[in-house]
Amino acid sequence: MRSQDDRLLWGVAIALSLISLVALRSASATLNPSLVWRQAVWVAVGACAGWFVSRVAYFRWIHVAVPFYALSVLLLVVVEAAGTMKLGAERWLTIGGLSLQPSEVAKLATACMLARYLGSRPSPLSLRSLVVSGALASWPAVLILVQPDLGTATILWAVWFGTAWVAGMRRRHLAGLCLFAVALLPVGWHVLKDYQRARLLVFLNPHVDPLGTGYTIIQSTIAIGSGQWVGRGWMAGTQNQLNFLPERHADFLYSVIGEEWGFLGSCVVVGLIGCLIWRAVRIAVKNSEREGRMLAAALTSWIGYQAVINMGMVMGLAPVVGIPLPLVSYGGSAMVTTWMAIGLLQSIHRFGIR
Amino acid sequence: MSCFYLCYLCDVMTRLIWLRRILWLGLGLLIIRLAQLQLVEGAMYRDLAEHNRIRVVPQLAPRGLLLDRTGRRLATNVLSFRLAMVPQETPDPSAVFTHLSRLTNTPAAELSRTFTRQRTLPFVPAPVLANLPKIEALRIEEVRGKLPGVLIEPVVTRAYPLGETASHLIGYLGQPSADAFPILKTYGVRPYDLVGRAGLEWHLDQLLHGRSGGELIEVDHRARQRRLLGFRQPVPGESVTLTIDARLQALIERSFGSQAGACVVLNPSTGEVLAMVSRPGFDPNRFAEQDQSAIQRFLDDSGSPLMNRATSGAYLPGSIAKLVTAIAALEHHVIQPESTFECRGALRIGDREFHCWKRDGHGLISLHQAIQQSCNVYFMQVGRRVGLPRLRAEFAQAGFGHRSGWLMDEQPGHLPSGRLTEGEVALLAIGQGQILVTPLQEAVMVSAIANGGRLVTPWVVAEVGGHAIPPPGSRPLEVSRRSLETLRAAMIAVVNDPQGTGFSAHSDRVRIAGKTGTAQTHLPGHTHGWFVGFCPADAPQLAMAIVAEYGGSGGGLPASIAKGICEFDA
Repeated sequence: MRSQDDRLLWGVAIALSLISLVALRSASATLNPSLVWRQAVWVAVGACAGWFVSRVAYFRWIHVAVPFYALSVLLLVVVEAAGTMKLGAERWLTIGGLSLQPSEVAKLATACMLARYLGSRPSPLSLRSLVVSGALASWPAVLILVQPDLGTATILWAVWFGTAWVAGMRRRHLAGLCLFAVALLPVGWHVLKDYQRARLLVFLNPHVDPLGTGYTIIQSTIAIGSGQWVGRGWMAGTQNQLNFLPERHADFLYSVIGEEWGFLGSCVVVGLIGCLIWRAVRIAVKNSEREGRMLAAALTSWIGYQAVINMGMVMGLAPVVGIPLPLVSYGGSAMVTTWMAIGLLQSIHRFGIR
Repeated sequence: MSCFYLCYLCDVMTRLIWLRRILWLGLGLLIIRLAQLQLVEGAMYRDLAEHNRIRVVPQLAPRGLLLDRTGRRLATNVLSFRLAMVPQETPDPSAVFTHLSRLTNTPAAELSRTFTRQRTLPFVPAPVLANLPKIEALRIEEVRGKLPGVLIEPVVTRAYPLGETASHLIGYLGQPSADAFPILKTYGVRPYDLVGRAGLEWHLDQLLHGRSGGELIEVDHRARQRRLLGFRQPVPGESVTLTIDARLQALIERSFGSQAGACVVLNPSTGEVLAMVSRPGFDPNRFAEQDQSAIQRFLDDSGSPLMNRATSGAYLPGSIAKLVTAIAALEHHVIQPESTFECRGALRIGDREFHCWKRDGHGLISLHQAIQQSCNVYFMQVGRRVGLPRLRAEFAQAGFGHRSGWLMDEQPGHLPSGRLTEGEVALLAIGQGQILVTPLQEAVMVSAIANGGRLVTPWVVAEVGGHAIPPPGSRPLEVSRRSLETLRAAMIAVVNDPQGTGFSAHSDRVRIAGKTGTAQTHLPGHTHGWFVGFCPADAPQLAMAIVAEYGGSGGGLPASIAKGICEFDA
């Protein structure tokens, strides 16, 4: 039985994309005004890609998860070997003038792969299934971690955790996992690069490095706080227009929204994300087929985790780790893959078995 | 079974609801935080944003010292004063510039131009005048109340106490280039910081620059500090000890006088660079002070004072190439040490006549005499018998035509690659025609003759931060002990026999071995004078290559400079 699209979900995605363009117009005014047009192209490309994905049944997409996953891992290896240096980290792959960020592709591929694997395992999950699925997520995650991109690597683990939890992770495994994570902390600390450690320390106390990373947090907190109830008005935020905010078009775009649109505007964005999560979980609940549920759970964990961490980071509640705000932050690869995730959710809604 | 399945369904449902709850909880926390920042503390942040009370006061780390092998300071740091202005606190810059120009005797237009170029962010002080005399700094400090946004900052400036000495090796500082800046930025370099742009200052920049620190302060409307928000201690750069001897270096520089040229002195057994001179030189202090007119003069000077001729000057070698020709001939048994050829003052190849420098001819002479008196006809005949392929291979093996492994900028020189006519081959054998070498390559080559056949890699950094740097290795030059003995005996005769071309290098205090060269250039009548050699002849401690650019014959100034070098320690 076929049903209609989830119109509300489409609406939420379009609203977030439009907010992104309007906020970016202001954030890039003194930076590089052409960013808006590029982002607009990416929104259009993303929306078309999402529409196309939603027209094909999700189980067909899950069917090709294995080659897709293998391809994304291969891309990560290639970018590691030959990636162009940008922002000090090797994250982009340039193909015919277009820069592709393979870590974004890896998020989508890993979500499909986890849905396929966990969808075929009975609940509650055996230890073996848990370990295998964890390895499936960790393989690309470790490749991304060495790029080095700590933020995106944690997204993959968050997707795995969310999906495995929904797939029926046993409570004692959950407890064991928590212990394992705590035990791994000192090891992880050792593996991190100096600047990553600095960022984590700065999160605990922004005044540790007020000239480096701490500066960003202090300035973005001032920007958001100064917005008060209704904000300082579009194109009128001094923190934004006077170049106090570094990276404000990308990961810190939310601070521009906070400054110029105030508490009300910021809450609208939080509300839209909340609505997106509500619709995504509703799609998962309504579908009675296990693979579809797992896929919806994976996509929900992905978008939800990214949104919470990004906005938290801008407000000084989470460490600065370079995670974009879904459908809002500037970035072509992220915009297109997030729209494809929305398309997948629509597909689960349309082709789901009641 | 069906009951279990239903339970499982319920379970997945419950867990999905939990997922939603947790994400919603996260969003809820965000709203609470938003309310705290924007509604509860909003007024404070609005105030902070509007008046922008936060100011960064950078403190540069002192650069690491550069010391010579005896601990003399080649590069150090001195305290000076700098005038800076905070853009956002200067509502009427032109009035301030007028006032300042009276206090500092600098045109207001120039101040304004520097300010426009240097300003970055509204709250970051932009340097306007560097190297302010203390008296002016105090005078401005007294009236600072009337000059909003003006700051006097104490700064640490790079200084080179020995002036021009070893300037090419030390290099100079400058503002980072546009393409290097994005990379340097990740190491904490700010747009107005000076970074190494040439020489060791450039090569060792990572070690020397340390890590700059600074203060993040909140100021009141009169720019007085109200609260310290953060502080980062600057970390000074590492101090670096070089292998060069500043006294020897200065001695050589003086003896060049106004003559352009270059000189490299190596320890032949280790490859340590004891002196590396390039003339004309420049004063790196002008770069540290950012004296733009002086820098422009260096850049415009037709004598290219900024170029390190010792490593980047490629010259025709002239007769000093005969040493390598002799090695090739002896190693391939084309001649024996006692073989003789007759020099009638010229050699006819095809329809061209090639002259010896001695038009009357040297008569029947042996290899020893041919080196001692630098007979062209002898070596042209030998070179033709060796043939181009073997000659070219020997030159390449002796280190010509490719880089020596020097750490910094270095020219590879040139060797002919294609086919040559008979005449060109004969010329190549006496170091004329299609061959270019650098003084550094010549110093390495003559070191190999001095040390028994090891081609050393020249190096100059002995210690970094008190830790010794392991010297680079060497590679063998395929040459028999007998051939080397022959060459050394002939080179001793060049300097110590009254008939030798390098007799003006003769010293009573130390026995010197050497070879002169006088290379014809494209300017008729102008020749490059060369001297390569080592001393003491029987247990070499120093090996040297000296070139005087358009400086006449090698037996003149270059030989007398060599004498000075060899008598330096003796």
